[in-house]
Amino acid sequence: MKLSLKWLSSFMDISDLSVEQIVDQMVKCGFEVEEIIRLSQGSNLIVGKVIECQNHPDSDHLHVTKVDIGSQVLDIVCGAPNCREGLKVIVAQVGAKLPDGEIKASTIRGAESNGMLCSLKELGVDENLLPADSCSHNGIEELDDRFEIGDTDILEKLGYDDTILDVSVYANRPDCLSMFAMAKEMGAILNRKVALPEYEGKSEIGKKSAFKLTSLSENCPHFLAKVVHHVTIKESPEWMKQHLRANGVKCINNLVDISNYVMLETGQPLHFYDLRSNPAMEITVRDDYSGPYVALDGIEYQIEKGDLMITSEGKPIGIAGIMGGDNTKILDDTSSLIIEAALFDHAQIRRTANRLGLQTEAAARFSKGLEPLSQNKAVDRAVQLLIELADAEDFEETVEYGKPDYEPYQIKETLNHLNALIGKAYTMEEATDVLRRLDFRYTNDQEAFYVEIPSYRSTDLRIPEDIDEEIVRLTDFDDLVSTLPLMPQTVGRLSSMQKMRRVIRETLTNHGMFDTVNYTLVSDRYIKEAVLPKGDAVELVSPLSDARRYVRTSLMNSLLEALSYNLAHYNENVSLFEISKVYARDIEEERLGIIMQGNLIDNKIKHISVSSDFYVMKGILLQILSKLGFEMGRITLMENDLDTIHFHPYQSAVLCMDNEILCIFGKLHPNYLRAFKLNDVCYAEMILSVLEQAKPAKVKAPVLSRYPSVSRDISLLMNEDIKAADLLSEIRKAGGRLVKKAEVFDVYQGEHIEDGYKSVSLNIVYEDKEKTLKTEEVNEIHERVLNDLLSHFNAVQR
Amino acid sequence: MLDLELLKNEALKAISEADTRSLEELRIEYLSKKGKIQGLMAQMRDLSSEEKPKFGQMVNDLKNVVSAAIDEKKEKLDQELLNARLKSEKIDISLDGYVPKNGTLHPLTLVQKELEDVFIGMGYNVAEGPEVETDLYNFTRANTPEGHPARDMQDTFYVDPTHLLRSQTTAIQMRVLEQEAGNLPIKVICPGKVYRRDDDDATHSHQFMQCEGLVIGENITVADLKGTLELMIRELFSKDAKIRFRPSYFPFTEPSFEVDMTCHICGGKGCPTCKGTGWIEILGSGMVHPNVLEMAGIDSKKYTGFAFGAGIERIAMLKYGITDIRDLYTNDIRFLEGFRR
Repeated sequence: MKLSLKWLSSFMDISDLSVEQIVDQMVKCGFEVEEIIRLSQGSNLIVGKVIECQNHPDSDHLHVTKVDIGSQVLDIVCGAPNCREGLKVIVAQVGAKLPDGEIKASTIRGAESNGMLCSLKELGVDENLLPADSCSHNGIEELDDRFEIGDTDILEKLGYDDTILDVSVYANRPDCLSMFAMAKEMGAILNRKVALPEYEGKSEIGKKSAFKLTSLSENCPHFLAKVVHHVTIKESPEWMKQHLRANGVKCINNLVDISNYVMLETGQPLHFYDLRSNPAMEITVRDDYSGPYVALDGIEYQIEKGDLMITSEGKPIGIAGIMGGDNTKILDDTSSLIIEAALFDHAQIRRTANRLGLQTEAAARFSKGLEPLSQNKAVDRAVQLLIELADAEDFEETVEYGKPDYEPYQIKETLNHLNALIGKAYTMEEATDVLRRLDFRYTNDQEAFYVEIPSYRSTDLRIPEDIDEEIVRLTDFDDLVSTLPLMPQTVGRLSSMQKMRRVIRETLTNHGMFDTVNYTLVSDRYIKEAVLPKGDAVELVSPLSDARRYVRTSLMNSLLEALSYNLAHYNENVSLFEISKVYARDIEEERLGIIMQGNLIDNKIKHISVSSDFYVMKGILLQILSKLGFEMGRITLMENDLDTIHFHPYQSAVLCMDNEILCIFGKLHPNYLRAFKLNDVCYAEMILSVLEQAKPAKVKAPVLSRYPSVSRDISLLMNEDIKAADLLSEIRKAGGRLVKKAEVFDVYQGEHIEDGYKSVSLNIVYEDKEKTLKTEEVNEIHERVLNDLLSHFNAVQR
Repeated sequence: MLDLELLKNEALKAISEADTRSLEELRIEYLSKKGKIQGLMAQMRDLSSEEKPKFGQMVNDLKNVVSAAIDEKKEKLDQELLNARLKSEKIDISLDGYVPKNGTLHPLTLVQKELEDVFIGMGYNVAEGPEVETDLYNFTRANTPEGHPARDMQDTFYVDPTHLLRSQTTAIQMRVLEQEAGNLPIKVICPGKVYRRDDDDATHSHQFMQCEGLVIGENITVADLKGTLELMIRELFSKDAKIRFRPSYFPFTEPSFEVDMTCHICGGKGCPTCKGTGWIEILGSGMVHPNVLEMAGIDSKKYTGFAFGAGIERIAMLKYGITDIRDLYTNDIRFLEGFRR
């Protein structure tokens, strides 16, 4: 909403308030002022007359002038092409402050210059606010006879002494998009008496009308039309032009200007048709038209079924609520017209305007909603102005389809309820003072007040709490005390999933990995190339781009993208992770993605480096599970036969938790990495939702053995395909309960080892929980274990 | 007698000039059983029986003096040796220390964690909900029926006519209200990702995070809301921060307030960050609209409550001085590394 303070001051006296004071009050009352626009700026201005104008000897465009400003004659150099003897001009004297700086006495190419002759643009007037015929477009402003030499009230006389506030209006206050309602609001905010023009009922005149009005759509429940004969087209008066310009509306002629002006005043978009274009004297609103239509702007629009159209004799004559038709508009010789004031469904207008890309003032107002009586009010005001400014006197009666949807109503609120909700102690006087400022009718007793809601606030004020908001809004609220809710004690805690996320994040950051947040929306390709996808991907109806069309079903590609970005930006040895939900139709899963490249540890000073390979990933994954309290017995590791498109077929694996697939991990397939210009990347994607279902074990203190253990090593030569896990389980089988620990500590292939074979070194720790093992006992078991390994795996001891 | 004094001087002189090796030789020379001092005992024979003990005592004293001098000298030489070794071990302390590699939590995670901790401390639970939502919870239950202008305010990503990517974490609140209607009071915060049809630029992101809070009980007031938010702001920004309420509009609260905090950069004096006002807009809030309570099956005559919602990105940007929201979604580790705490 563009609020002209000059226009506002025609309804109330605000001469004692600075712009800053007004803005400050508005902000306190819930109106943010986005921008304060001064239509013009300039001090030390005076009207002067050019009494001499000669070309500058050293320039092809400068003039050397003598300008009479009454008290003295000034030498001024001027570059404007229209500068000539006899002109009355705006002189910015030395010391004048203009938007581009201060005017100083100077010498321009040898000629003395003591001031500046101004264009309105140099005084900060926006090009769009200049009348089309203004000299200021290309030169200095030429003043007319209203101005006398020595006058200083130039900007006032030209109407550019206004300040416009760009006010942002919340969605619940569409009434404030109209000047009359905004003036009422400002009256309440500034506590001023508001005097609006008396216009209601002015349209209740006119002879019988044969005009026929119908709506075939429920999205147009109310429509008024009024035929006016014998209007005179002329220029609008200066005050109206100033107000229109201040709102950024182009002035055309009195008729078009009146329709725009009434819209600004009442909020109701009006449309005037040339009566000649409607010989049938009939308008029907319909929403079943489809096909092309050329609107007032000369552009052809594709109308679809559902769009509201104004039609006559079955042919469209305007896009309802958005833009009139080219064939029915007011022309220079229009003498009779039809006034249209209708209510169109805000949602439908919004849909049509959005689809056609036609964001007109009218569409914006319909979209935000109108006050229920605005059609009648607008026709009243239009009739009043047509009489005043277009010599209209021959009216037909107003034709009406439907009726306004408004019944007067009251809201009752009590002081007790008000104070209990707010936590303050308002008195009845304070509460009713707000109602008085709002110009609401009310009655009250000791405890309660009863408020009649005017039509223009009826969409917003429905319940007692709405009235409370008005009171809070319009009284000083900075003195509200701070308290905390008095209520039964509650215990705040994190859910198991929320705790799990914290444990995982802590573990992974301690390994040097970075927590990331990536975009949820991805391209079609990322959906096709998902890891462990479930169900059909969720697709947006109207995405911003194809790259963000789907809700991701796995995290891998986002992390690959982030990794690739980092490697391209001078980072190396990058390990990232993300915890996020992924979605498919009716499926939600929480996942963890880990991506590693280069070395996880790479410390040059200490000469330590640990490359981020399958085993590092495996170790970290199992560490997470153990930190979360899941015993290794519940976790199974399997060969990856699920996905060898994204994963290296021989360096990847699948983890299951209680026989449910939990995680896929390993090296990524070089073919897949090529698209990201990456190589040697390890990745894991874990479905955390699986863990949410599984119950972790209770923490139990370990029982320490009282007897010593004995450690033995074995080195075996065997076929390279034999798995470590099989060796270890065989050891446990052969050694029984006395095997406390068994692990592989070295695997060697290469020199001195035949192709297809490997050397495996194992460490076995024996312990008896009940007694100290004798050497002979250990020897016996160890022998048994060794023989078993040799025969079972066809191995040779080294 | 003279011999004793001479021998003492000779020994002490030799000790004082000795190095580690010759010191051991001196110890043998003077103190061993066949050493010079023991050798004095041979003179005992020539002494009278009165003089014998006295002489013996003197020889013994001399032995002790020499032995002590040798020990002292040895300790001194050892220390010199040690000092020389230590000196040879001198290192450049300005070389880099060994820092075990550590990653960082994402700034959005950090802020969310901080919010969770503040509110858990006040007895709140942390509620979540689906990001692919129904229009019922995202809009209708939040007092934003079909055709309501507020649905226009939030240009939403629809999936089908009734499903969408949630545009506000209010959707979580609406689920909590429904689930807990029979189990009042309610004290929750609802952090999560939300989505809007905005083109990404320095201050807009089609994806961002919110954290909303909801308290429902008996006799909950706007003053309670103010106290709660003041506490939150003080925990997150500075101990002496103040807040102020400005009237605002949200469909699901009545009355509604924008909340400003005193600028954490200038403390309220006015600076470029707060555009000279001393205040910074930090979140939206209000008293839960009676329609919202009723739709969830809660008696709005008996119960009231407040709700508030803040942008996690906004808090992070203010707190850490981030000027471009896209930095939070690029995941450049040079940026992430800055969030060590």
